[in-house]
Order: sequence, then structure tokens, then C-alpha cells
Amino acid sequence: MFEQIITMVFQTDFAFSIFRITAPILFAALAAVVAEKAGVVNIGLEGIMLICGLFGTLFSFWTQSWFIGVLGAIVVGILLALMIGFFALKLHTDIILAGIAVNTMSAGGTIFLLYLFTGERGNTASLTSSNILIPTIKIPGLHQIPILGDIFSGHAVLTYVAFLLVFLIWVLLYKTSIGLQIRAVGENAHAAESVGVSVIKIQYIALAISGILCGMGGAFMSMYYSQSWNTGLVAGRGFIALAAQAMGRGEPVGTMFSSLLFGFAQALRTKVSGVQGVSSNLISAMPYLVTIIGLVLYAASTMKKVKKIKNKDK
Amino acid sequence: MKKLLSLLLASALAISMLAGCGGSASDGGEKGEVYNVCNLVNGNLGDKSFFDSAKSGLDKLEADGVIKAKTIEMGATDADQPKWLETLYEVSESGEYDLIIVGTYQMPDYLKEVAEKYPDQKYLIYDDTTYVGVCPNVVNMSFRQNDLGYMVGVFAAAMTTSGYDKMNDDAVIGFLGGVDSPVINDFLYGYLAGAQSVNPDVKVDTRYVTNYYDTAYGKELALSMINDKKADIVWGVGGAAGNGGAEAAQETGKAWFIGVDSDQEATFGAELAAITLTSGLKNVGDGICWFFEQWAQGNEFWGQEINLGIAEGGVGIVTDKNFASVPQDVQDAVLAAQEAIVAGEITVPSALTDGGNDAARALRDSMQP
Repeated sequence: MFEQIITMVFQTDFAFSIFRITAPILFAALAAVVAEKAGVVNIGLEGIMLICGLFGTLFSFWTQSWFIGVLGAIVVGILLALMIGFFALKLHTDIILAGIAVNTMSAGGTIFLLYLFTGERGNTASLTSSNILIPTIKIPGLHQIPILGDIFSGHAVLTYVAFLLVFLIWVLLYKTSIGLQIRAVGENAHAAESVGVSVIKIQYIALAISGILCGMGGAFMSMYYSQSWNTGLVAGRGFIALAAQAMGRGEPVGTMFSSLLFGFAQALRTKVSGVQGVSSNLISAMPYLVTIIGLVLYAASTMKKVKKIKNKDK
Repeated sequence: MKKLLSLLLASALAISMLAGCGGSASDGGEKGEVYNVCNLVNGNLGDKSFFDSAKSGLDKLEADGVIKAKTIEMGATDADQPKWLETLYEVSESGEYDLIIVGTYQMPDYLKEVAEKYPDQKYLIYDDTTYVGVCPNVVNMSFRQNDLGYMVGVFAAAMTTSGYDKMNDDAVIGFLGGVDSPVINDFLYGYLAGAQSVNPDVKVDTRYVTNYYDTAYGKELALSMINDKKADIVWGVGGAAGNGGAEAAQETGKAWFIGVDSDQEATFGAELAAITLTSGLKNVGDGICWFFEQWAQGNEFWGQEINLGIAEGGVGIVTDKNFASVPQDVQDAVLAAQEAIVAGEITVPSALTDGGNDAARALRDSMQP
């Protein structure tokens, strides 16, 4: 049994699939990172991704251009995130409730919109054609290298964008003045306000950025990963992303690694499911099990560090 | 302003509720044998599967003047679920209907509760056998998906070694199920038996998505079947999650897909339709037509299970479009299997019998590549 798993795991397509599985989680997790840094909790990730996924498909179908589809999804993502901002920041509702409202609205509302625009009620499988799906790119040079090329080349455009965004978000947060303001607002809004930073404006900006990221995540799901939209499209990835953000301590790079851990666990689950006599229900817990193990290891290592520092003080 | 708004909202709510339960067909006795039927959909029409199939059957009956039907869409989300029981009570209380139709595995508990309170009301539940015989006013309509699975299994196993385009040398076929449950395993059991009847050494890679909606994960599983186990034909039996199999087949260009429940070739976009060779059909609509035919003839099944197979039009396999272009001997094998099942020469094992599910699982594990 283990032999079988090991032969499947030591194949390039296993490593390749980790990136594919991680990408949508990473988009949403980065969205959570930016919002959280500005002191706003965006738990509407799941719903925003679902709605953006639908609009990505619709825009790309109408214009027959995947690029406009992704742009449309991003615009819708911004609008939805700003809507959460409007309710929470302007009308002072609880932001958690505003997020839940978006998640709830997305489930029923999307079917209504789908029917309104296309007359379909279940999924968009009849609208799909490969010219409106997000294309994959073979990176020249890298693609010819054995093993490495098979793992890192040939991904969808947005998969590369997701990992590039880890760096860009890090630059945004730590190397730009807007990033400084975002962090200041998140750390202590009153202090930020006292030096003339408009807290609400910064929080709107942070939410808008998280909307952009969710938009890309939704488009990735409906326009590449599952190739069509249905109401269960996102399937909890928005919530896994929240966990990934927390596990990554709210930092872009840490969040990338925790997202990759989820991706690894899910990829492993896929491979193990093909082994004789393995219960699909048992291994469906695998991504969560890996998370718990990851958290325990992480907590253990921080405790060691703390002990070391304490010992130094003595 | 606020008051006005709340008043408006309240009146909108009241009107929509009235609209929801009023305005139904009233007098059913014009022609003597016109049944008044209420079709409750615990989801939405447009699923291109069960609900649409049931509706098309009712439409046909209505056009023929056999029934007067009213269909109520109750929605599928968690937020809609509380409405299911409520609506069931409402239509039962109204007493206007000769028959109330519900369906799927999600409804039996609600139906049992209501059917016991309205013993004079007749009910039909399709594709569920949870409480067969518990209520004397309920008929359970089930489908021999194992028979259908057998035909698909014969088809897939014959195709994988036929040397047809994209078919590799390994005799491995795939099954992408929704959930490891008796109904899905009933499809599977037939599929395994059918495949074995063609080639005793055939391997079947069986995976479950563990839900019916995560298309992306279904695709991951199917990619693993195609890349790791060299499966070259995948049968997706799990709603939207099963469609991941079609996407994986199309993306890799190394495999074919088989649909389920409805003719998926007709509902996919052009590219996915092109790699869908056939579909196993579960004709809820035809089953309902058959039921009314029997009822009109005086054959009543209240309190019983009616198990519809090929002969009653309950299940079948798509034999036109892409199917018509596969090798003739494969087509002949499938049709021969169909005839043999109808004639009773082949008895397909079922996962819905006592111990059947365990037997199906044991066979599944023994055939896993």
C-alpha cells in the first residue's frame, strides 16, 4: 500500500497538482491577509468567490474573451467587498454579520442571476468552450528542463499570478506608504487617526484589494479549475483560506506556506484515494488532519523559541 | 421612511406567500379520469436531470389530458430547506390533489411525517426507498440503476480494449462516484459486474468525491485515474462533482467520459459533449408516465415499492450521437446485454439488498487497480 502511494507521490504530476490545488486557496487567503492587516475581518470570501466565479464565466461568455471575464470578476469582487465595507464601516453593522450575509446571499442569489442572464438554473457547463477558459502557459526554457519543467511550467496564468501576488502583497504591506498605513490602522486605529490617517479610507482600500484577490480566486475556480460554474463551486475553499491566513500568522509568506500545506494534503488525499481498500470518507479528513499536525508542530516550535529566550534572560 | 419600507417589505412577503400557495388547478373531475397532481421540487428546475425529467413526464401527461399538474420549486440551499416541510404540509392540507409527488433521498423524513398525518392523501416519492411500506398511502418509485450500470460497464469494458481512438493498452476503466452510499454503489455494482462479464481481468478505478458539488475535486480525482492508473474511460456518477470527470478527460485528451441520469451529451458545451460517448439514463418522467398508465388501468401500488427497469422505461442508455460512431461490436454487446436483462437471462446484483452494499464494496476493492 505504502509502496503504491510513494510511487504516485514521487511523480511530477503530484507536485504539479499541489500548485493547482493551492492557487484558489492562496488567492482567498491573501485576501484575508490584507483585510486582516487593516483590522477588518472579511469572512465573506467564500460568497464573493462564488459570485465572482459566476460573473467571470458570464463576462467571458458574452465577450468570448477570458481576459475580460477575469477583469469582470475582479470588478464584481471589488464591488462586493466595498459593499461589506459600506455596511460595516458606514452603517456600523457587525462586519462578521455583513460577511455572513454575503455568503448566504451568494448561495441563492447566484442561481437567480444565472437564470436571469442565461435561462440556465443548474450550472454553466453548456456555455463553456476552451477559448474562454483561462489559458495555461509553457514557460520557454524552463519547460524543456526535465522534472522542473514538468512541475513548474504549464500552469494556468492565474496560478503564476497567485504566487507572484504573495511577493507583491508583501511589498505592498512592508515597502509602500499605503502598506504602512494599512498596518497602522490594523494595529491601532486611534493612533493612526491621531497622525492624520483616514481610517475608513484605508479600510475601504484594504477591502477593495481583498475583493480583487477574491475575484481572481473565483475566476480561477470557474474559468480554469472546474471549467464551469455551479452553486457548490467554491466548496469551502474560502473558509479553508481563513484558516490558512490564521495559520500563516497573517503574513503573506507564512500564509503561502500554510496554503501550500493544505494543497499538499489535498493532493495526497487524491492519490491515496486510488489505493485499494481505502475509505473515501476516512481520507476526506486528511487536509484537516494535516492542518492540526501542522499547528501542533508550529506551536511546539514557538514554545521552544520562547523557552530559549527565557533561558537567555536568566 | 423606515416604517414605509417595513410595511412594503411585509406586504411583499405576504403577497409572495399567497402567490406561493394559491392559484392551483381546482376542478379535476371534468373528464372523469383527470388526476390533480402537485409536483414538489426540492431544488430548482433546470437541473437537466431528475427534476426536469419528472417535469417533462408531467408535461406529457398534461398534454395528453391525463392529469392537471402544478409544480412548486422549493429551492435547494440550506436556507430553503425549512420550506420543504412547510410546503408539504400546505399542499396536503389543501386536499386539492389526487397525488403529491416528491423525490430524492432528501425528502423521505419529511414525507413520512406528513403522510402519517394525512392518511387520505396519496403520495409518490421517486428515487428513494427509505420507508417502503411504512405509510399505506405512499408509493416508493425506485430505478434499477444496477441494470443501467451493467450496460454502461459492458460498454466501458468493451471500449477500453477496442483500440478506439485514445484507448491505451491497459484494461482499466474509471468510476467517479459522489458519495460511498448504497444508491451510488448500486450503479457501481452493476458497472463492475457488466465490465467483468466482458473481460474478467478488467480493473475499475473507483473514487468518491464525498459530495455532489465539488467539480474541481472531481476533476483532481479523474486526473489521477487517467494519469496514475491509465484509465481511458471514466463514468461520472455524482451530479456536478461527476462532471469533473468530463473536464479531466477533455483536458488530458487521453480519455473519454460517460454521463449519468440524463443525456449529458445534449446538455454539455460542444467540447465536453465531444468526449462524452454515452450516458446512463434514469428516466423519472417515463417512470411517472408508466405509473399513471397503471393507475388508470386500476393497478395501484400504495404502500409498496415499484422498481422500474429497462422494460418500464425507467432506465436506459443513450444509443445515438457519439455512441453510434463507436465500433459496431461494442454497440452490439451493449444492446445484447440490454436484451438479456429485459429477458431475465442476466440478473444484475444490487447494492440495495441486504448485505448488497458490502458485497459491492468487496468487489470494488478487488477490482481496484
